[in-house]
Amino acid sequence: NTILCFLRSFEYSQKNAVLVPVAALGVGGMLVYWLRSRHKIKTIEMGDGWWGSGERLLKGREDESIRPFKIETSDKEIEDLHRRLDQARYTPHVEGAAFHYGFNSSYLKKVVSYWRNQFDWHKQVEILNKYPHFHTTIEGIDIHFIHVKPPYVPHGQAVQPLLMVHGWPGSFYEFYKIIPLLTEPAKHGLNEGDVVFEVICPSIPGYGFSEAPHQQGFDSVATARIFHKLMNRLGFKEYYLQGGDWGSRVTTNMAQMLPQSVKGLHLNVVFVGKRGLGRLISIILGAYVPWLVGLSREDARLIYPFMQKSVYDVLRESGYLHIQATKPDTAGCGLNDSPVGLAAYILEKFSTWTDKSFLHKDDGGLESKYSLDELLTNVMIYWVTSSIVSSMRYYKENFSKDPNLSAYNRFAVHVPTGIAAFPQEILHTPRIWAKDVYKNIITYSYMPRGGHFAAFEEPKLLAQDIMQFVRKVEQL
Amino acid sequence: EFCSSLAGIMLLEVFLVLGTVIIYFLFSKKKEETLPFKDGWWGKGQKPDTKEDTTIRPFKVETTEEELSDLFRRLDQARFTEPLENSCFHYGINSVYHRKVVSYWKKQFNWKKQVEVLNKYPHFKTEIQGIDVHFVQVKPPRLPEGQSAKPLLMVHGWPGSFYEFYKIIPLLTDPASHGLSDEHVFEVICPSIPGYGFSEAPHKKDFNSVSAASVFYELMLRLGFNEFYAQGGDWGWLICSNLAQMAPNHVKGLHLNLASVTKVGFTHLLSILLGRYFPGLFGFQEEDVRRMFPFLKKGLYRILSESGYAHIQATKPDTVGCGLNDSPVGLAAYILEKFSSWTDLEFQNLEDGGLERKFNLDDLLTNIMIYWVSGCIISSMRFYKENLQKGIGTQKHEKLTVQVPTGIASFPNEIMHTPQAWAQKKYTNIVSFHFMPRGGHFAALEEPELLAKDILQFVGKVEKEQLWKKR
Repeated sequence: NTILCFLRSFEYSQKNAVLVPVAALGVGGMLVYWLRSRHKIKTIEMGDGWWGSGERLLKGREDESIRPFKIETSDKEIEDLHRRLDQARYTPHVEGAAFHYGFNSSYLKKVVSYWRNQFDWHKQVEILNKYPHFHTTIEGIDIHFIHVKPPYVPHGQAVQPLLMVHGWPGSFYEFYKIIPLLTEPAKHGLNEGDVVFEVICPSIPGYGFSEAPHQQGFDSVATARIFHKLMNRLGFKEYYLQGGDWGSRVTTNMAQMLPQSVKGLHLNVVFVGKRGLGRLISIILGAYVPWLVGLSREDARLIYPFMQKSVYDVLRESGYLHIQATKPDTAGCGLNDSPVGLAAYILEKFSTWTDKSFLHKDDGGLESKYSLDELLTNVMIYWVTSSIVSSMRYYKENFSKDPNLSAYNRFAVHVPTGIAAFPQEILHTPRIWAKDVYKNIITYSYMPRGGHFAAFEEPKLLAQDIMQFVRKVEQL
Repeated sequence: EFCSSLAGIMLLEVFLVLGTVIIYFLFSKKKEETLPFKDGWWGKGQKPDTKEDTTIRPFKVETTEEELSDLFRRLDQARFTEPLENSCFHYGINSVYHRKVVSYWKKQFNWKKQVEVLNKYPHFKTEIQGIDVHFVQVKPPRLPEGQSAKPLLMVHGWPGSFYEFYKIIPLLTDPASHGLSDEHVFEVICPSIPGYGFSEAPHKKDFNSVSAASVFYELMLRLGFNEFYAQGGDWGWLICSNLAQMAPNHVKGLHLNLASVTKVGFTHLLSILLGRYFPGLFGFQEEDVRRMFPFLKKGLYRILSESGYAHIQATKPDTVGCGLNDSPVGLAAYILEKFSSWTDLEFQNLEDGGLERKFNLDDLLTNIMIYWVSGCIISSMRFYKENLQKGIGTQKHEKLTVQVPTGIASFPNEIMHTPQAWAQKKYTNIVSFHFMPRGGHFAALEEPELLAKDILQFVGKVEKEQLWKKR
């Protein structure tokens, strides 16, 4: 009533007749902006966790020391491995199988022969130790990471902290070739060298030298929280993130959890967000008029024919995901006991996920992109740490819940994002679909070649893309 | 003008109805088509010009000291991973319980004795389509006056073997000694599917259920049986169904303890959505509703959570089986997990997976040993790829019906329940369909008496019907 009287009293004043709607608009606009901005900065709740065995000790603070760590091996360990390799039992493949039935046993025998007779684990351990390793206890478990600082920093240059997270069946070792390109770019002929990084590569709990969680429920959100705590403990307030495979999901959760700490997020794998009728319609239309639904020509080339590439191919390649997301302890049991079985299981992925056409080759095309030494070193990390079962449990912990309820799909990512789309990735995510979740895509690059294990296979291409992304973000 | 357009519409309707009727008849004729016999050559290299050796050679399961000491060495060096706290069997087999199994395996399980148990029935091998096919053939010890033994082919599945039938065989070959009616006495033949146990694995691609059915068809003919009954569950269900589709004049009756439906149509979808509320409309009985609904929980989620093994075996069998052929502990874990969940899904909530409630460790380990000593785990898994790689519901035999008299024993703890209303779309001549009071997937091993009784009553019905027809 009072407002109406107030308004009526202005009826006769022209000046006020202009002022009132303008003021109303102003207030209204501010209200809308305030509401939207509140919606905008919705983040994943940080929460807390305890993953050690037994009950959490409430008394006393957690040991926050950062302890240097060196990977070691022993003659006993190597003898045990050799004994198992010597007693391996193989099954002849059907005629003409190539890699269509999985890892080809004739080629496997050659790999194992190399492993037994030429692979030098002592030497590889030295290579692994060339970067400084550390352990620190967070939420009850020991977290392993390597921390590589640039050996030489020109005066006044900023060093960007970069956390790089691996996936399955990879490890921190996947980054060994790209690290020097990021910490010493000028030395490796990578442009101006105005962007230099300090790289931290942790092992996801349950992988490699990070202790496995003893409690159920350890998912990517818990990992994100632990990695934030790690960066904080190392003294970083703001940092860049990079990830592929699980690393992509973990770093995305990190950006959704604490956006103010994430300067930029770079991904080489993007998991599609929304499904639904709208998406289905755009997929159907996109086959004929890709430009109408926001798909580029390259997108169309990588996605279509849709049934073949996005349904059949994915079904053919996702058996491991299905069994690991439901029965990880069963699936991993034999692999933790048979190094040959472990190698076949892991290396099959390094073949097919690098290039789909490798399925047709008798040797799975493995040695055309990688050396046996580096492939076997990654396998050895799983073997000597007995981490295959705990690495598989990560699938169950992340997939058990209703996908629509998972944090990943419910929260948007507003931090500057860079995406490198590699052509041989199992599933291609066009920029227009990535925008469902990533609202602030600064760069989106179609890489000329390369597959799933980008850092391992095409370190230079990936490093260049990371640097041009960071350069753009720094200029913002 | 209005009248002529109305007439036009009526004419169109008449044509549509006629057309549908004609198409229906065409299609229904197609459905009654028999499945063609699938000839093949599964041996190594090229098929030789010489005639195949059709002799049936007696076979004895053997073991050696070397085999045993190799096994013990591997069991001794087993590396286990601690389970998550309070996880029971939710993440797969629980390694704390598994250690106990392995300890029993090392210290108390007597493989030499079990080999003698396996050899108590006569074993044979014969070459069919280029590979050695193994089978057990058990004749009745005595026959009542004027009766002849009815041949019964029993086919196992995965991860089972011919050994699953060892408890039920005596109930069928000598029912009188086991308190069952001896109106019908059987001569039982339990082959091993090529690629399983002591049957040679195919060396060529594409050996699927129709191939296996063709091989077993040749086997039964070679053994001199012109008419026989067939019984199966798991893969045995599919192979025996294919056999019935292939040779309806030879298969007197088909008994199944699993009857999956692979061709899902609109009516199935409708019955899933509304069957709980209008069971009568879809032909569902009360027990059907109890077992099937809520559908998401008892149908979809259950299948998703239990079919990981099928997905990976249907796509990368050589990869997943590799470690299992090298680690007996891994092999045991993989197989035992199925004997737990598929017997009763509630067993997942137990720390020991409920394994020893329905089975004894000697039987379970003997079955595992068959996979271990024959090194057949990979070839057994390939069967999934050969059958499923083109997708479910796409193959010819899935579109054809089965017209031979069929008996279905529906066990309550089977992973997914198939109501009679669905089964009869494929099995058009269901003579008996019974809800079993208890039991799961491995019916023959777990509830031999229940299964034997159902087989006997089914055969009784078929024989009566035949007699009546003759008159």
